[in-house]
Amino acid sequence: MIDRRLIENVDWSLIILLGLNSLLGVVMIYSASHHLAGNYHWRQLIFLGASLIVLFVVLLVDYQVLTTFSFYLYGAVVSVLVLMLVFSRFISKGSWIKFGLFQAQPSELAKIAIILVLAHLFAEYKRSHVSMTAAATSSGLVALPFMLVALQPDLGTAISLLPLLFGSLLLAGLRKKAVIGLLLMAILAGVAGWSFYLKDYQKQRLATVVFPSRDPQGAGYHILQSKIAIGSGGFLGKGFARGSQSQLKFLPARHTDFVFSVIGEEFGFIGVVGAFFLYGLFLWRLFSAAGRSRDRAGVYITFMVSLMFAFQFLVNVAMVVGIFPIVGIPLPLISYGGSSLLANYLGVGLVLNVKMRRFANI
Amino acid sequence: MERNRIYEDLSLILHRTRVVSAVVGAALLLLILFFWKIQVLDYKKYWALSEANRTRESVIGAPRGLITDRNEVILAENSAAFKASIIRENCRDYERTLAEVSRLLEIAPEDLRSRVAKFESLPLFWPITVKDNLDLKDVSHIESRRLELPELIVEIDPRRYYPFGNLAAHVIGYMQELSPQELKSDAYPDRNLGDMVGRTGVERQYESVLVGVDGRRLEIVDSQGRSRGETSREEPAPGKDIKLTLDFDLQQKATQLLEGREGAIIVLDPRTGEVLTLASFPTYDPNKFITRFSPQEWMELINREDHPLENRAIRGLYSPGSLFKLTMAVGGLDAGLISEQTSFFCGGSANFYGRSFNCWQRGGHGALTLTDAIRFSCNVYFYNVGRRMGIDRISEYAKLLGIGQWTGIDLPGEKEGLVPSPEWSRASRKSDWYPGETISVSIGQGPLVVTPLEIAAHTALIANRGRGIVPHLLETALSRPGPSSGAEGGRRAEAKIKESAFETVIRGMWKSVNEEGTGRGAKVNEFDVCGKTGSTQLIGREQAERLGKSIRTHSWFTGFAPRDNPQVVVTVLVEFGGMGGATAAPLAKELFALFKEKYD
Repeated sequence: MIDRRLIENVDWSLIILLGLNSLLGVVMIYSASHHLAGNYHWRQLIFLGASLIVLFVVLLVDYQVLTTFSFYLYGAVVSVLVLMLVFSRFISKGSWIKFGLFQAQPSELAKIAIILVLAHLFAEYKRSHVSMTAAATSSGLVALPFMLVALQPDLGTAISLLPLLFGSLLLAGLRKKAVIGLLLMAILAGVAGWSFYLKDYQKQRLATVVFPSRDPQGAGYHILQSKIAIGSGGFLGKGFARGSQSQLKFLPARHTDFVFSVIGEEFGFIGVVGAFFLYGLFLWRLFSAAGRSRDRAGVYITFMVSLMFAFQFLVNVAMVVGIFPIVGIPLPLISYGGSSLLANYLGVGLVLNVKMRRFANI
Repeated sequence: MERNRIYEDLSLILHRTRVVSAVVGAALLLLILFFWKIQVLDYKKYWALSEANRTRESVIGAPRGLITDRNEVILAENSAAFKASIIRENCRDYERTLAEVSRLLEIAPEDLRSRVAKFESLPLFWPITVKDNLDLKDVSHIESRRLELPELIVEIDPRRYYPFGNLAAHVIGYMQELSPQELKSDAYPDRNLGDMVGRTGVERQYESVLVGVDGRRLEIVDSQGRSRGETSREEPAPGKDIKLTLDFDLQQKATQLLEGREGAIIVLDPRTGEVLTLASFPTYDPNKFITRFSPQEWMELINREDHPLENRAIRGLYSPGSLFKLTMAVGGLDAGLISEQTSFFCGGSANFYGRSFNCWQRGGHGALTLTDAIRFSCNVYFYNVGRRMGIDRISEYAKLLGIGQWTGIDLPGEKEGLVPSPEWSRASRKSDWYPGETISVSIGQGPLVVTPLEIAAHTALIANRGRGIVPHLLETALSRPGPSSGAEGGRRAEAKIKESAFETVIRGMWKSVNEEGTGRGAKVNEFDVCGKTGSTQLIGREQAERLGKSIRTHSWFTGFAPRDNPQVVVTVLVEFGGMGGATAAPLAKELFALFKEKYD
């Protein structure tokens, strides 16, 4: 079933970069939460091991098989999301679903399902520009889970589905007019969302990006504390597990959404550049995998996975330095969280899968 | 290229992926620039903010100086108490905080709101005390809500404690919170809003001595406001202890004697002016309202008819009654208007200026000389002395002898009595002085009023044969602020009045106590007590008979012992106590006896 040549073609440097970034996450989670009950760093290590196993299992199945069956996965994920909305009182809490001791976020898996289903949709699409029907179909495929997730309400995860759609449409070929149209639509959607969908606290968060010090104890509190953490880290940082902002708990969500602030506070500008470098290498390796794809579906898969990581990284980091609203998007691989780690590893697994099967049909 | 020939041509979409990845790379570089700005360019600003975040300056209250009696029995000390404070800085939702705290500590919401509003001007990190004297139940309630209510904290508060409760409460005084208005005045330069200050008594008089210098503590705190250790500490300097001249046993005895009555007792040392006892009754327990708030007890005390908060010994104004006969006698002798042998006839009443004036002894005393007139407190005798002296001379001698003059005791709020004169009458009453009034003043009635402490100082002056003293409470040598007209008056008397006049009056006082006079109730064997009783009528006896009312009189006794080299002066006033000889003199006897037992 799996050929020796396939194993030779596994991109081990990508796996190493993946592992290094994940381990950086574990270290920062330790620093941010070692004084809390819960042993988050050990749990994250266990999630890491489990995700790694899942990643290798995914390598066994040809991605073409996976795309062929992608509609089943997509249907299953959407059904779960619908069930969660309908029975939200009994089985779930917001974006979380409970399995006994475990909690999982099915919305994270929605990303993988969408990547596969869009890749399948555009696999045979050879025109230089995208047609209206294709654009409408793909938009509909993303809009359904987007709405279901946004209604949970988990705006952050919902928003991180959008670059998948945008990325696939870009590859399929968007005319300039369409790009402008999409941007206009995004603005309209933003206005409509502001008026009808956003909760007051979310509006405040958006407002405080512009004026963080206007209301330091309210919505601006998190942004301000995060900026203080990063800024006070200075050039060299305060040292591992010695950041006063994070150790004394001024920093919100230190081991999840704001883990990058801990890096900034404890390792300073040097640490930030280092983390950017490590992550940048990882992203570069992902993006460049597109050129090593055997077919169109492979390019779509690697590109969308790369874009998923890039988008979440950029938004999260922009968020913690206060130039983007706090929308609850975690830092992929580094923030604490089993479901998102699993989804991210599945994504990297797909890229590895595409890359190792770049020669002929074996 | 080779690959693309075998498989489909993907160059177009690969180009597009490269464009997007370049955009991502550019975005990453742009973000790095932001980090450069806040971590390198704005580093100082954020560093200062993070320091402000994690350190909290708080005040360590300095313990107040102890107050002890002359034998170092502690009358006022400090005990640890808990108080609950709100730090507004830590409030997430001010309205919710108020609601929660009000429910948790059982404070009415409007009281809590006005309490916090009072401290609006303070910086946000400053704790505002909302409840003090917490019991352990309150403390555990607050501690268990730490995470939900980081703005509500418990602090340890050195609290004033008076181990003997109401004993000498009027001398020691009590404490209350400094008001924002007082803080603005210059009287309390180095104090903070929320500090407790002495309101009355020694606590107020010696505030600047008793109060210490608060220390400061810089603590590292987390976002819940919990302390994670200190960075620096400035120890508080405790206030200085104060040793009073009070004698615990005598003070306690006096308080017991006054129990159930309204009145005042003063015991002092005529040699030095040291006040051994200064008791006023009814009294109160100052422990009950050393609080920042106005509890029920406090309001009740303020509104009570018998004014327990008033220190009657220095603030009560009473007619001296027959005690004034001592002044009359000294004045008459010194002026040469009478001598020890001068005799008048008492037939129970006498006519002056067309009006009849009674003696308290309706049958009359018959003919008597000066010392017997003092011994039996004959009114008619002193009516005659008064007529000879006239109001101007009476007024002059009264002032020389310390009547109606500030004594200058080191207690705040001392009142001054009044010695009437024709000038006073014209100035204050807008009417002329009537000669008949001089006759009333001769036996201590009329507009003449004194405080019990003035009487005690006056008695000391007589005991010292003219040397006046300034009553004082502080034993340790410290400068005593306040008026000292009493001392000057005393010195003037010594210079101007013949010593023989005092000797004659003292002989009469001795007879009053030891030879079955009106003061016989104060007799102590082998202690040579000299004294004088007084009964002041609130309404004239004639008027009372006309109205068919019973006469209610204030009962006085003042005296000293022993006759030669006097060691102690005792002055007793019992409001509505009846005749001085019946009520006040026996109380004075108890104190003379205890003094003799203890010091003689």
